[in-house]
Amino acid sequence: MNSKEFIQLQVNGETRDLAVPPAKLLLDVLREDLGLTGAKRACDDSSCGACAVLVDGVPILSCVAIASCYQDSEILTVEGIAPPGELTPVQESYAAAGGSQCGFCTPGFMISIKALLDRNPHPTDEEIRMALSSNFCRCTGYMQIYESVRLAIVRSSCPPASAVATLSRVER
Amino acid sequence: MSMSAGSVARPKTVEEAVRILAGHGPDAMVIAGGTDVVPNLQMKLFSPGLLVDIKRIASLRGMHVNAAGELRIGALTTLTEVANSPLVRQNYSVVAQAVATVAGPLQRNMGTIGGNLCLETRCRWYNQSAFWRKSLGGCLKKDGPICHVAPGGKRCWAAWSGDSAPAFLTLGAEIELSGPQGVRRIPLQSFYRNDGIDRIALGRDELLTAILVPPGSAGRHGAYHKLRIRNSIDYPLAGVAIALEMDANGICRDARIAITAVNPAPLLLSQASEWLVGKKYSHELAERVAHAAIQTGKPLTTSASTPVYRRDMLRLFTRRALEQVWKARTNSPLNSLAD
Amino acid sequence: MARFSVIGKSLAMVDSSSKVTGLGRYTNDLSVPGMLVGKILHSPHAHARIRSIDTSRAEALPEVKFVVTGKDAPNPFGILPIGHDERALALDKVRFIGDNVAAVAATTEEAAERALDLIHVDYEILPAWFDPVESMQSASNWLHADRPYNIEKEYHHVFGDPDQAFRQSTFVREETYRAAEVNHAAMEPNATLAIYEPDGRVTVHSSTQVPYYLQRTIAEVCELPMSQVRVVKPLVGGGFGAKSEPISLEIIAPLLAIKAKRPVKILFTREEVFLAHRGRPITIVELKVGITKEGKLNAVAARVIQDGGAFCGYGPVTVLYSGALLGAIYDIPNVRYDGFRVLTNKPACGAMRGHGTVNVRFAFESMLDALARDAGIDPVELRRRNMLAAPCTTVNGLRVTSYGLPECIEKVTAQSGWSEKKGKLPFGRGIGMACSHYVSGAANPIIRSNMPHTTVNIKIDRDAAVTIYSGASEIGQGSDTMHVQIAAEVLGVSPARIRLVAADTELTPVDLGSYSSRVTFMAGNACLAAATNMRHQIFAAVALTFGCDPARLEARDDFIFSQDDSRARLSFDQAIVLAITANHHGGLVAQGSYTPPEEARGGKHKGAGVGPSPSYSYSAQVAEVSVDTETGQVLVERIVAAHDCGRALNPVTVDGQIIGSVYMGLGQAMQEEMIWNHGRLMNPSFLEYRIPSTLETPPIESIIVESEDPEGPFGAKEAGEGSLAATIPAVANAIFDAVGVRITTLPLSAEKILAAIREQEKIERGVGQKSGAR
Repeated sequence: MNSKEFIQLQVNGETRDLAVPPAKLLLDVLREDLGLTGAKRACDDSSCGACAVLVDGVPILSCVAIASCYQDSEILTVEGIAPPGELTPVQESYAAAGGSQCGFCTPGFMISIKALLDRNPHPTDEEIRMALSSNFCRCTGYMQIYESVRLAIVRSSCPPASAVATLSRVER
Repeated sequence: MSMSAGSVARPKTVEEAVRILAGHGPDAMVIAGGTDVVPNLQMKLFSPGLLVDIKRIASLRGMHVNAAGELRIGALTTLTEVANSPLVRQNYSVVAQAVATVAGPLQRNMGTIGGNLCLETRCRWYNQSAFWRKSLGGCLKKDGPICHVAPGGKRCWAAWSGDSAPAFLTLGAEIELSGPQGVRRIPLQSFYRNDGIDRIALGRDELLTAILVPPGSAGRHGAYHKLRIRNSIDYPLAGVAIALEMDANGICRDARIAITAVNPAPLLLSQASEWLVGKKYSHELAERVAHAAIQTGKPLTTSASTPVYRRDMLRLFTRRALEQVWKARTNSPLNSLAD
Repeated sequence: MARFSVIGKSLAMVDSSSKVTGLGRYTNDLSVPGMLVGKILHSPHAHARIRSIDTSRAEALPEVKFVVTGKDAPNPFGILPIGHDERALALDKVRFIGDNVAAVAATTEEAAERALDLIHVDYEILPAWFDPVESMQSASNWLHADRPYNIEKEYHHVFGDPDQAFRQSTFVREETYRAAEVNHAAMEPNATLAIYEPDGRVTVHSSTQVPYYLQRTIAEVCELPMSQVRVVKPLVGGGFGAKSEPISLEIIAPLLAIKAKRPVKILFTREEVFLAHRGRPITIVELKVGITKEGKLNAVAARVIQDGGAFCGYGPVTVLYSGALLGAIYDIPNVRYDGFRVLTNKPACGAMRGHGTVNVRFAFESMLDALARDAGIDPVELRRRNMLAAPCTTVNGLRVTSYGLPECIEKVTAQSGWSEKKGKLPFGRGIGMACSHYVSGAANPIIRSNMPHTTVNIKIDRDAAVTIYSGASEIGQGSDTMHVQIAAEVLGVSPARIRLVAADTELTPVDLGSYSSRVTFMAGNACLAAATNMRHQIFAAVALTFGCDPARLEARDDFIFSQDDSRARLSFDQAIVLAITANHHGGLVAQGSYTPPEEARGGKHKGAGVGPSPSYSYSAQVAEVSVDTETGQVLVERIVAAHDCGRALNPVTVDGQIIGSVYMGLGQAMQEEMIWNHGRLMNPSFLEYRIPSTLETPPIESIIVESEDPEGPFGAKEAGEGSLAATIPAVANAIFDAVGVRITTLPLSAEKILAAIREQEKIERGVGQKSGAR
């Protein structure tokens, strides 16, 4: 049987020392060893985006990342994107605009959206669509996810007029 | 799904990586981004005793134009970095276009250019779980006596399904391979063997460390057209890359066309280049080149779309790609393109 | 003053924070000490007799704690009482590639997988049936001995005189349509955690839409009294029908837990999700429709064959819905329906969003488009001429109480710019429309009884917190929030005061489950009744104090006050103390339930039980497309969907349901397809089963139409399924409008469209027509 290996990960700003099988996937380490079950296993073939986490600010698929290979990096999961008890503007606008239905894809979207807005605070609709094109959502048809992103932009800053104009039914 | 992999080595230099590979032989497998390797490991297509994770080798990262004027892209440079690079977008447009179509943004953030050039070939009878393949009785490429694509044949037809390789082929790129005997460079074209099983000319103790694009290929106008069902995530079902150089009169000075996802290797249409040089655009010429594409491209039943459709689209996309680059390069409107 | 304070407001989903923070727990996020990993051995053969199974080598592994086979749980089960043909693990034969043969519980996943490889099964391979038409002509080797010719069920209905009506029709069309098989592809793969309790009971946390049916099935198969089985539904990551009947792992996990006396968790791989399936079957629709010169629908005849796979599942219900709802959206006096549910050696089909209605609606609305052209009538106008006059009863006995379809058609054509575009777009661009409808729950329960379909309890104690206990299953559609909004409205309290305990068989009263779009109508009515009952108790105590008539009291914004005297005003907290004091029993409890009215339960013919609903939703849609005539590729540019949901209790949620339905319909229309090769699923993955990404999904605009159903809670009815079916024919009709080819098989792939365009060009060249003429 595989012996275990001691590794050290930086997750959500904390240093975690772990003993895991050498090839254990980051997704499984987060979920099983660290109790961070936000990132999900959904597709088994790196195609759905539900397992996304940020590594040094870049969104990646934790389901194909071998944990021991990410010891030099800052890993941020959905649980760490806002301080405890607080919500980011996107998390708040998701509630208002219906971004989550079943919610299973939501952690992955949160990661992709955060990466997008950190890089580009005022994305166009097409940029939003492109940035989210490796995250599948089977419930929403994506419209209310876009709406959530636009709402967050409107609420957290001085928005471009186009973002305001495209909001419907949701209170601004 | 458990992973069939034993231990993991994390070398920090190319020399160390090569030493490890040489020491372990076929039991070792290189992993970089993991987007291709890990699902394959979970499907038990490979069961290496040792994974050699090369992500810590800093010298394999990044791209620059070297003293010889070549564009050098380190093998670990991510597909996102390549696609977003102003240098690549401006001077090697066919590469930027092709790389931007690989899977989706999350996969491109992980996937590396080296990995994309070394992709495993793909086939609907092969890229399946261990249970699935066992129920089938395996296939020629893995655990079985017959090819389900071409029963009776002794050759594996799993399709080369990378997007970047055809683009680099059109630029006459070379790759740098490091092994125990040192570094060698070979034309990318000779890297691919057109065999679904023995797909690339990479020794078990070698590492692909960089891809180099010659100075003369900079500034070529390029296009990459990809057949797929979804505009994200999907591997190509057929693809064509074109890089063209023209003079001020719209006469082709040099042209290269490469096709992908329809053979076990990405292939250059060498004959087509000869036809194009010295010519102006004409519909007949475009049709002739498109016909050459389907003479070379031989799609089989390796994927969901039928070979007939993939072949038709290969022909169409070749014509369209040619139109696109010629149009982009020529100031005067091309009346003959209107029909 | 607004008529409602909470109803009609886009309240954030009550579980939203737990979802956006990643802190909410789905089944696979749960773990308990000592938990084992369960794995299932699947059949590599499509049809084979099991001669013997040797598990000894697997059992010898130190990490393996238990191995079970069919003999450990021989009792059959199935969602329908008439279809108990499944077993937790195959007993005598396997019937599809992927059928469940044995299962192990081990300390690690890796060991469990290794153990499966060590189980030896001796099979005698049998001839297998993969094509439904061939299967129903089979003389031998039937899947189930008691289902001759592999026909699970057939139904033959005649209403009116269709033969006569066809003779009297001016325009008659006949066509055969075929739809590929599709899967729900919910993001969450099925998972079950079964905990063996020290006292011999078993607690099962599972990704289910039907906790009470699951409880019953586990009890039957594991031979425990129902009272010893507790089913808890954690957050569920999408269902769409996939989790609306007990799935093998949900029974195998408790079986292993009971045997091993340890907790056992099983998580399906994505491939296993596809093999458990229960999706929409391959459907062949032979359709004939006749209309008068004026465009009045005269007669419909349909012969429908559904390729149901290896087990009954919901099959008879699917094939009955296809018939019952085929003609019932419009006023059609003469209907003939012949439906066949056929068994084949493939994974079992089942209920999927729009259950039974989707593929026949594709056929019907496509044909209506062609008939409109025949008659020279605009397709929208043709539909307008065939509206029902609600309230009414359709020819097959369905009672229609509210009917917002005319308004849906008006709004959707206005917003889409139909009249400016239809027939006026250049070649290659097109616009199409279609309608659809769906039930708001089945008027007859799956297991016939006269008990309520759902019950809701409400408790308020001296902390003045309101706790709702409901068995209804939140699966992302907004069930939990719906309860909170209704109770908050009736009791006049802020939603924050309300807590919901839901879908736990030990704590909550029975609700039949989240299927057939029944929750808002049925659990909503039960919650409304419970809250109203509670308000009576509170008002009675307050009225005594004020010395007024309870009917003159009102509750709003956490106060109870008299409509006649502004000084007569108490906080909700004060009122609760009064009520508890007055009733001499302690904390306040109230109950409400819902049973569909007798007159909603349908006719008396065989199969009349499926189709009747207390109320129906309606949808009208317009799709705009452009078609690349050289590739056949379709760019869907825009879809506008208007849906009559009675009343939108929560507009953002209703919008989300409409858009989500359209999205799923679009996936089936354009690109989703389960590809089979001799019973082998060629694409059991998200890489190859292509649900749409953001890049194939066009702008989808939703329009809410509120017809205010007389029996729905605050007038509400179905919102989550009815819009799916219209999307597919709307797109197909738009493709016809764009390039003049009518695709009669799903999906509407580029390859098929290109072939049809080329065929058409060949014909046009043959008769010397100008290329591009429409």
